[in-house]
Amino acid sequence: MVKSTLKYLILAFSLALIASCIRDKENTIRFSSWQSSPSEKRLTDSLLHCFSKKYPEYNVKFELIPGNYSEKIQLMLGTHSAPQVFYIKDFVAPSYLRYDVLQPLNEYIDKDTSFDIDDFYPQFLDAFTKNGIIYGIPKDFGCFVLFYNTDMFKAAGINDPPKDWAELEEFSRKLTKDANSDGKIDQYGIVVEPSIDKLMPFVFQNMGSFQDKDGNLTLNTPEFLEALEYYYGLYKKNIATIPTDVSMNNTEEVFGRKRAAMVISGGWFVPQLKDQYTDVNYKVAFLPKGKQMATIAFTVSYSSPKENLLKEESWKLLSYLTGKEGMKVWTSTGIAMPTRKSIAAQLDYINHPEYKYFMGSVDFAKVFQVEYNERWYSITQSAMQAIFYEEADIPQKLKQMEDDMKSLRIKK
Amino acid sequence: MVSGYGLKIKMKRNSSTKKEQQFWAFTFLFFPLMLLAIFVFIPILFSLGISFFNWELMASQQNFLGVNNYIEIFGDKIFYKAMLNTVLYTIGVVPIQTMLALFLAFVMNQKIRGRVFFRTAFYIPAVTSSVVTSIIFVAIYSKEGLLNSILGNFGFAANDWLTNPHTALISIMMLNIWTTSGYFMVSFLAGLQNIPNSLYEAAKLEGASRRQQFWHITVPMVRPVTYFVVVMSLIGCFQVFDQVFVMSDGGPNNATTTMAYYVYQNAFRYFRLGYGAATAIVLAGIIMIVTVIQKKYFPPNPY
Repeated sequence: MVKSTLKYLILAFSLALIASCIRDKENTIRFSSWQSSPSEKRLTDSLLHCFSKKYPEYNVKFELIPGNYSEKIQLMLGTHSAPQVFYIKDFVAPSYLRYDVLQPLNEYIDKDTSFDIDDFYPQFLDAFTKNGIIYGIPKDFGCFVLFYNTDMFKAAGINDPPKDWAELEEFSRKLTKDANSDGKIDQYGIVVEPSIDKLMPFVFQNMGSFQDKDGNLTLNTPEFLEALEYYYGLYKKNIATIPTDVSMNNTEEVFGRKRAAMVISGGWFVPQLKDQYTDVNYKVAFLPKGKQMATIAFTVSYSSPKENLLKEESWKLLSYLTGKEGMKVWTSTGIAMPTRKSIAAQLDYINHPEYKYFMGSVDFAKVFQVEYNERWYSITQSAMQAIFYEEADIPQKLKQMEDDMKSLRIKK
Repeated sequence: MVSGYGLKIKMKRNSSTKKEQQFWAFTFLFFPLMLLAIFVFIPILFSLGISFFNWELMASQQNFLGVNNYIEIFGDKIFYKAMLNTVLYTIGVVPIQTMLALFLAFVMNQKIRGRVFFRTAFYIPAVTSSVVTSIIFVAIYSKEGLLNSILGNFGFAANDWLTNPHTALISIMMLNIWTTSGYFMVSFLAGLQNIPNSLYEAAKLEGASRRQQFWHITVPMVRPVTYFVVVMSLIGCFQVFDQVFVMSDGGPNNATTTMAYYVYQNAFRYFRLGYGAATAIVLAGIIMIVTVIQKKYFPPNPY
């Protein structure tokens, strides 16, 4: 009896062992991304399909990471099991670039004559470049623009979107109203958010910055303070609202449900407006000008891990996805804007009634990256919340933010 | 005792040598022990180890720091805030939850109409995923949500429970009291059913009221269960994570950052696994100390 049990145990063990040994085919390129919408998933699938049609000798396996993307990629890189090609967000790129985990792409770019690296808008490429070494190729970009509700503008007797800070405030005041006179405001001029990324365009417009060229923090400067006071002032003066005040999840929803006449958002909001908020008549405009025109841009790269047995194959996929052919497929639906000048010209987005504002923003858009440990984001987020929810003293908070962040500087 | 005797004889007749018994014991224990080792014991030792390093997942080399991580913890403002939040949370949740669970169990143990329905109703939150209950409560707590509309009828001004730094933690505490009292109610119910009826009958004959019966028979008799419940809920409260993760992300302004959430943030958001591990070890130490204190001063069976 004992013997036969042992036999079964051994059998079970060997089965488990065999199961763990079954692997993908040897030359399978694993590819991972997050997914912001079902339509993005479909687009990814069809793009990969195009690739395998063109290069049938390569196997690509799409491994979707539905949530906690950065945490997961980090763990996979740390445990030597990262996919061969994956997304990296500009926002977290500095944290990845400081470790020696991503594959430098320069030699492949130089070898591949058809790739044409100069075709890219430089600021997006710079987001994934460190000391001249390119660690990722930007696949697309988006940026903050102003969406405004044309019906509400008409009702308030305003024809054009606000052009500068003074107009933004003036229009917001005109657009804020209590339609049923119950003492509660039903429609706000604009919806803002206690979040650093919505604030930064205003800081850049005011000639301010988060860090100077040498990497020192510049939060405690008159330019930054003025921008924050203006931004918070809209809320304080009760001509702007924040999503939580009207029980909604995000600023886009507030705009879509007609509780605010203006919202700062990006290209990702367009499909949502078309599918979900069909009764909202809107137009897109550049963000209003401060001392200068400015907005922030978001970009995502395709990158490869340094530890990779399929380097040539990975480049093949990566260069197809970011090449002229792949990027055209990817951006032709307007889900995001192309980072290649030639594709933007081919698709004629410069003259498109909506997309021209995204493409036009490229001239003055900055990619917002911070060379500090990720914790900087929690610190600024807490400070913004303290200002909005607890009416904390703004200059004092800015000083405190700088103090809390100083030790988090990423060493070069 | 007759049946026990019978069993003994049977065992002796059919059964085998001591050696064989041991073999079977270990065969059955082997898998659970292996699983525990792989998923519990080794990770605990491992995290203790990496808490002495500047362990960064993606770095090719890990620097030994000695106790520097622990020294940093003692100067970390957010860590103190997280500790304070966790202690407040525990102080708020454990007593209310325990009393509520005992009270519910006491009521459910009476012969009242619809008892099965109520038992199920109180137990459902305990078997529902905490993520689901959290999302439901996010809606309830929102500014135009259910709680505010009920309170509004009594003339209270609308409050955004989760983004108001003064109410965010309390809101999560209320949620947790609601979800877990049902769970502990079941423990108490089991305890209540072990109390011999004769005690109540005797008390009734002596003219004790319901309230007196509750305080002088029920409460002392379920003391071992109370001990179990308090220990379990203390540990649960110190480790509160999912509700914070889903509902508030530690905000607003760190008002709901608990120790477990801070561990996660350091390890996986700030790329500092070593420091995260050190905070986890400190958390484990605090839980151990609290449990020892509790065992010493509030023993399960003082009689």
